[in-house]
Amino acid sequence: MNTTNSSAEPAPARPLLEVRELMVFFENALAINGLSLEVYAGEIVGVIGSNSAGKTTLMNALSGLIIDMRTKEKRRGGERITLYGSVILNGEEITESPPSERVKKGIVLSRERHPVFSESSVLENLRIAGYLRPRAEVRDTIAYVFELFPHLARLKARRAGFMSGGEQQMLAIGMALVAQPKLLLLDEPLLGLSPLMQQAVMEAIVNLKQHYGITVLLSEQFARPVLPVIDRGYVVENGMLALAGTGAQLMENPEIKSAYFGI
Amino acid sequence: MFLGTIIYGLLNSAVLAVMAIGFNLTFGISGVANFAYGAMYIFSAYLSWTLFNLLELPYWLAVCASIPTTMALGALMYRFVLLRVRGQALSEVIATFGIGLAILELFNYLGFVGFEYTLPVLIDDSIMIGDTMVDWQRILVTGVAGLLVAGLWAFTHYTRMGLAFRGIAQDERTALTLGIESDRIAMLSVSLGCGLAALAATVIIPLGSISPSEGYEVLIKALAVCIIGGLGSTGGVIVASFLIGFAERFTDTYISSHWTMIVSLAAILLVLGFKPSGLFGRQKELEERI
Repeated sequence: MNTTNSSAEPAPARPLLEVRELMVFFENALAINGLSLEVYAGEIVGVIGSNSAGKTTLMNALSGLIIDMRTKEKRRGGERITLYGSVILNGEEITESPPSERVKKGIVLSRERHPVFSESSVLENLRIAGYLRPRAEVRDTIAYVFELFPHLARLKARRAGFMSGGEQQMLAIGMALVAQPKLLLLDEPLLGLSPLMQQAVMEAIVNLKQHYGITVLLSEQFARPVLPVIDRGYVVENGMLALAGTGAQLMENPEIKSAYFGI
Repeated sequence: MFLGTIIYGLLNSAVLAVMAIGFNLTFGISGVANFAYGAMYIFSAYLSWTLFNLLELPYWLAVCASIPTTMALGALMYRFVLLRVRGQALSEVIATFGIGLAILELFNYLGFVGFEYTLPVLIDDSIMIGDTMVDWQRILVTGVAGLLVAGLWAFTHYTRMGLAFRGIAQDERTALTLGIESDRIAMLSVSLGCGLAALAATVIIPLGSISPSEGYEVLIKALAVCIIGGLGSTGGVIVASFLIGFAERFTDTYISSHWTMIVSLAAILLVLGFKPSGLFGRQKELEERI
């Protein structure tokens, strides 16, 4: 964890992902309020915010899950979900695309609380994740995942539901990798992990960037392990952007210090 | 007599397993309780009968046409009816039950009832096991049961589509984030379930005859097996088929054939009373252990 000064070079012209004035309503409650952000290829970008700041809703809007939720709620006559603004990937508007289309375009989300298929083995989880990818490629990526998380390789045949939270989180990230993301979205990857596991997961994320060129957008409420690693960060409060800056800038910010580091 | 009862118990278990496996597959993957299952079974049987007897197609061709047609009907039922009420279990049950009723009562109304409505057996012969006569058709059903269980296991563990089925069955949202389309998979699961009903009809109907009331009976049997085994559990279907299959034959032999129908219904009541999630209630298994 020593990449504090890595964002000095100028960013390329067009962002990989651009969010413009995004607003998400659940009925009349505003979950995200005019949020704009950019992610450039090769960056690790953090979205920092407390519980209920709108991090998960943002991730769902980016991955397209919210489109699926909206359809299902509508069918059920349940909660009305409304979206305004736009989500743009590589210059292409994808605000209304369903999740499967976005996965094909390279946005893959690993949801919060380490989502794994708990009754399947580790290996089977990874194979299910390769639904859209050719067989040989899936095999190679699985080998890479086991390199990235050697601990998982030893648990290949273990049922995912019987593993610890940290192991499940590693598997969840591995599953997202098998889907071949250009932009990997990680929703609270450190939630419920021991400090040691948190460190292992953050190291893996840096490894992904350095050796695999994967762009990562991650959301967290724990700023401490995240800020040293990210290139840039956005601080979100009540669905609104409160602060933005490089990881180093955010670490020096007195408000962040008092709110997230308790200094 | 005891050996004969054992043999027929085994054969009867295979029949039950073949009847129930399609219903179980659909429920296990998409959570749709397809109450039109019995109607699909009867629909495919009448279709095969019509193609074979009225259009005089070769029997294998009639079967090869009626199984995909039944699958298509299942897919259409999902796309145009179930999709709109998806996620509301009660509405799904009412919709599929309504469609099932309509199909079965239509055949009733058209007067498709009688002993001439049956499908030909594949091998019209029988063998003696000990002093029990067993017809080849029943042995064929047993073979089909074994192949189905093995085939479905291989399908859900080794093929892309089968793995996607398992993903959706376990956690729909996570599957969505990996690019698996839940509506498409659910449609396929309903369709495949209907196809299995059609296959079951093809091998089981030759043992009796086609009638709308048979459709209700198949639905009740499939439900009984699935409820006792634990909805969505393939292992449960196998064990429950054996339980009911043997219980029915032993009741038949040692008590009275009059009571046979009661066995599966009593078994449902017992299971619901003592272990409501079924013997192998799938979703509960992990939670209970952790």
